[in-house]
Amino acid sequence: MISALWVRTTVLDRLVVVLLLVWVVASVLWAAQRPAGAHVVVERDGQVVFSAPLSEPRSARLSGPLGETVVEIEDGRARVISSPCPTKVCMGMGPASRYGDLLACVPNHLIVRIEGGRQEDTPPYDLLSR
Amino acid sequence: MPFHRPIMVLVLLMLAGVLLWPRWGGEGSSEVRRSRLLLGTVVEITALGPDRDLLEGAVSDAFAEIERIEQLMSPHIEGSDVARLSRSDSPQPVSPETAAVLRLGLHLAAQSNGAFDLTLGRLKALWGIEGETPQVPDREAVEDALRGIGPQALRLEAPLVVKSRPELQLDLGGIAKGYAIDRAIFLLADAGVEFASVNAGGDMRLLGDRGGKRPWRIGIQHPRDPQRLLATLEVEDVAVVTSGDYERYFEQDGRRYHHLFDPRTGYPATACRSVTVVAPSAMLADALATAVFVLGPQQGISLLQYYPEAQALIIDSTGKEHQSADFAEYRL
Repeated sequence: MISALWVRTTVLDRLVVVLLLVWVVASVLWAAQRPAGAHVVVERDGQVVFSAPLSEPRSARLSGPLGETVVEIEDGRARVISSPCPTKVCMGMGPASRYGDLLACVPNHLIVRIEGGRQEDTPPYDLLSR
Repeated sequence: MPFHRPIMVLVLLMLAGVLLWPRWGGEGSSEVRRSRLLLGTVVEITALGPDRDLLEGAVSDAFAEIERIEQLMSPHIEGSDVARLSRSDSPQPVSPETAAVLRLGLHLAAQSNGAFDLTLGRLKALWGIEGETPQVPDREAVEDALRGIGPQALRLEAPLVVKSRPELQLDLGGIAKGYAIDRAIFLLADAGVEFASVNAGGDMRLLGDRGGKRPWRIGIQHPRDPQRLLATLEVEDVAVVTSGDYERYFEQDGRRYHHLFDPRTGYPATACRSVTVVAPSAMLADALATAVFVLGPQQGISLLQYYPEAQALIIDSTGKEHQSADFAEYRL
């Protein structure tokens, strides 16, 4: 079959195929090795309501049943800086910066999670018991 | 340039391969990780395996099961077994699942001489530690809230539960979360998932290892420095539950009051800073972690002798570390 194809193709055909092969292999290798940029994902009731790179300073006002929770991204870390909930446990949780870190405001139904990031930012454990 | 169908087919196949690689590529394994706010905390379920659709379905079912258990056992949900029992002054029928949780809880209450208690509902409400305005109540009110509690406070005559005093209020906070985690793991395994974790606010149970590659690595948070780890464990097919005085607390007059009460005094237990229990089920680990936290290291380790399959790491009130005989086997 290969020899039949070889006869039926022009030099340009072969060049196109080789270039495509190179492109495919390079894409797969790049996708496998590329570290996903760390980013903040905020969910409310199972739905993603906000997502942003951890590298860009900004703040987001996110509404829940109690009112607005403010999440600030600064210096590669995300934290809850204001919340309408009674106990402010979410504000007391401090910053989240590493893959898998979670902040939550249970009364206001918000979960802030860090996804992606470089290998060296990954904590030395899968789950944290506390 | 002539049109050659075999070449175009080859090119299309390659393009399809590139597009589908992220879904079915890698090492032939997918990871589904989802979080929901349930049981008053963040519940995160991770499932690993080759069939992404199976994992997605199993994780959804596991969340639904946790929600169902919450509806049965939360003291805050109108119509739950627990809310109904607390309100009633006559014997009440409960579901077989609530009865099973009560059975283990009453057993542990007796074994721990009342250090573990299922009837602290009034005391917790008095302190308001989970509410908007927690406060230190006066001593008379605390003594009143303790009246009638203890291992004899409830009698299980399945399907009926009999309270020894009508004003007793149940709180299964130290055990029901563990049961809900166990049920979620059961459903994941029943659906054919081999590797998974169910983590409810730091209390967790693991199914298998981490994707057939290595054991799960569980960090134990230091009770006084959240940026530090007390230990890292390597485990599989067990539950890991930590009770600590640093998770929920308030301060009044310069003193810290946390949420783990000593049923014998009505005040936050003072013997420990944190207790981590590794056990075959999350329900057992959850209940033991609370009981050992109240009892302190010496009596706590004595209690663990009734449960040779459970191991504990205890940080006492001075910061000194204690561990049961075989806990070291889990440490990395």
